[in-house]
Amino acid sequence: MRTGKIPMLITGLALWAGQALAQTPQPTYSADGLYNQANAYARAGKPGLAVLSYERAALLAPADPDIIANLAYVRASAHVPVKPLSRFARLAEAASPTVAAWLGVLGIALVGVGLVAGRVAARFLWIPGGGVLLGVALMVLAAANAMLLWPRLHEAVILIDQAPARVSPAPMADTAFVLREAESVTMTAEHEDFILIRSGGGLTGWVSRANLGAVLPSD
Amino acid sequence: MRWIRTIIVSLCLFAPAGYAMAQTLDDLAYETVEPPRIKLGESAILRVTSFGRIKDVTLPIIPGLVFEPMGRSQGFDFVNGSTLPATFFSIRITPQFAGVFTIPGLTPSSRPVGLEVVKGDEPNPYTWHSQQPTPAPVPIGSLPKGVQLQAGGAAFVHLAIPARPIYVGESVPVEIDVGLRAGIVTSVNGLPTLKGSDFTFNNLSKQPERREETIDGGAFILLTWHSALAAVKPGDFELSAEAPLTVKMSTLSAADRAVASRLAYPLLQSMYSGVAPKEMTIESSPLQLKVLPLPLEGQPDKFSGAVGEFRASSDVAPASVAAGEPLTLRLHISGAGNFDRVDSTMFDHLDHWKTYPAKSSFTPSDAVGNEGEKVFEQPLIAAQPGEQSIPGLEFDYFNPNTRQYEHLQTPEIKVTVAASLASGLGLNSASATGAAAGLRPDHRLPQGSVSELRPLYFRALFLMIPTMLALLLAGSWFAVRPNAARATSKAAKRVLAELDAAARAGDSSVFFAAAKRVLLQSFAARWQMPADQITIAELKARLGATAEDLERLFAIADETKYSDDQSGGTDFQRWIGLIRDQLISERE
Repeated sequence: MRTGKIPMLITGLALWAGQALAQTPQPTYSADGLYNQANAYARAGKPGLAVLSYERAALLAPADPDIIANLAYVRASAHVPVKPLSRFARLAEAASPTVAAWLGVLGIALVGVGLVAGRVAARFLWIPGGGVLLGVALMVLAAANAMLLWPRLHEAVILIDQAPARVSPAPMADTAFVLREAESVTMTAEHEDFILIRSGGGLTGWVSRANLGAVLPSD
Repeated sequence: MRWIRTIIVSLCLFAPAGYAMAQTLDDLAYETVEPPRIKLGESAILRVTSFGRIKDVTLPIIPGLVFEPMGRSQGFDFVNGSTLPATFFSIRITPQFAGVFTIPGLTPSSRPVGLEVVKGDEPNPYTWHSQQPTPAPVPIGSLPKGVQLQAGGAAFVHLAIPARPIYVGESVPVEIDVGLRAGIVTSVNGLPTLKGSDFTFNNLSKQPERREETIDGGAFILLTWHSALAAVKPGDFELSAEAPLTVKMSTLSAADRAVASRLAYPLLQSMYSGVAPKEMTIESSPLQLKVLPLPLEGQPDKFSGAVGEFRASSDVAPASVAAGEPLTLRLHISGAGNFDRVDSTMFDHLDHWKTYPAKSSFTPSDAVGNEGEKVFEQPLIAAQPGEQSIPGLEFDYFNPNTRQYEHLQTPEIKVTVAASLASGLGLNSASATGAAAGLRPDHRLPQGSVSELRPLYFRALFLMIPTMLALLLAGSWFAVRPNAARATSKAAKRVLAELDAAARAGDSSVFFAAAKRVLLQSFAARWQMPADQITIAELKARLGATAEDLERLFAIADETKYSDDQSGGTDFQRWIGLIRDQLISERE
């Protein structure tokens, strides 16, 4: 009996491994890879795709000076206005979102442990007190990082020049205004193949889904 | 005997009718003049169509007109929707002076036709009556040299290629002429094709050139397609063209056709109208083409294989830019040749400029792409402001006419580069540096990667970690009992201060009452029992020898509470020490 089960087990494992290998691999992203890809697009004269890739790279490494510099450079070359980052934003984005997320977890742990330790300790109460303060600071840092990054998750980049923004989500609808290539817009709603956007100047209109790329891909 | 009599009677009756029908057919003919109105110096064609057995026609003599026989041909003519075998005579008429001429019928049954000859500057009187322009006369042509009519004289195909040797890679124009006799060829069933190995052919022009000509006295429609070919290797090769057609062909045998020619029109002709469309492919005579190899001697290093005659020029747009702003350098190569091999990498490196890969576009000026202009565009970004110069661009090709390699060089271009664009836009210093220096270089190959761009703290799976941690710690906070000593320490300090004050004031009642209260509170917190249930026996059981001092302290406290005895006042410091020891031991 036992000798019969082992080959079956091996066969089952082999089938499972085969199925696992046959699954479509998920796309992987890296800040350096996206940055290099953006550089390639910029050299090829495609500022829209370049800015999109830089923005995606900035999601992973917002404090990377090369990404910041090249993003500003390509936007300036494409005559797209550049919003300078505030000091608070630069401070909050000093850490990558991944690091900030784990720092936030550490902050929660420090606060919790500090409170529990303070409850049970009778002496050296400054130690749990300091831990709580440090934990709160880390949590604030993570929250600020997340708050600054949140709007970017709903941003998109215009991929073609003179992209029409229409008054309604229909191909034959009147053009309300046109958008420059590489311009960043905020997505507020969607309807079939059109996305309602708000431009940097506060104008709203429906843009064809094919004419823009979301900073956060829908996967 | 009876049937013999019937035959004789029939012969007597029908023989004259048959003879009459044959004579009628022999006499059936007509003439046309095209065009009926010509200018002095032009010629018209007199066409005699005979359905009989006329061998020849006699040219008339008319003062002012010169008649030249052009030939005789046989074919079919369509009369009232039926096809009849016919003989065509073509005669060129050249007038010697202006006037209106009447040309008599050249066969007994044909009617006279008129020809009007006007002077070159004479206005056309018909334009008063019609807005339609006078149709141009059909030019008279001839079969190309070495070409023979095929499909029973209905069509021909002719391939025209350069007679000279060509070079490997050289793109040479090719013409395919297909002549179709009007009314006989009903359709062309596809594009003509070139037959020949070791050649590459461009696509044929989509729409052929169409014109009409009179060839050998017959009206022909000439379709001309253009293409270009290039040889891939040297040698002697054969080349021909073929075209698929549908031609009306007679399905009758020669005997049947002879009978048909005897039949009077239109009587019984339908019985012998054995004409049916037939699909066939006609092919041109094969042509010899010699292909020479490109000479290796003097071949430039940057030779890309371009063969032909080219011109080169260059420009930039815009002529003045800001530092960091891209401009486009263009190299224009125009002329005739194999543009698919015209290539240029422009500049791989240029001092004070950042270069990008060039891209090209070709705009043909003829139907087959043998002539045109190829434009190479390369984005350049000036790295520093000031007067900058872009060196001339070079291009090498082989000229098959001069049989040598040619070198083209465009002149140097001056560009005015203004201050950095980034500074003008008010970018921060980091981006300004980036703008001045162009794009920052690529990073090394990425080491780590993630499967999702969404930041960790926006992923549900990750958010479970801090949530679980917070719940765990909150549970711990509630589960852990607070330290009693810590809770009482502050009160103890306060009481000790109070005891010190009472001792300094010599108030023993207050001192001992406070001492007893704080000790009972301390013991109650330590032992988790109500203070009023702590007895002397409990103290002795838990504290041992120390309980005796505490028993005495409690007794004094009771005494001072109910009397005004102040006797224990001198022992205040000892009692404070005892109380402090108890409180400290409690915290530890």
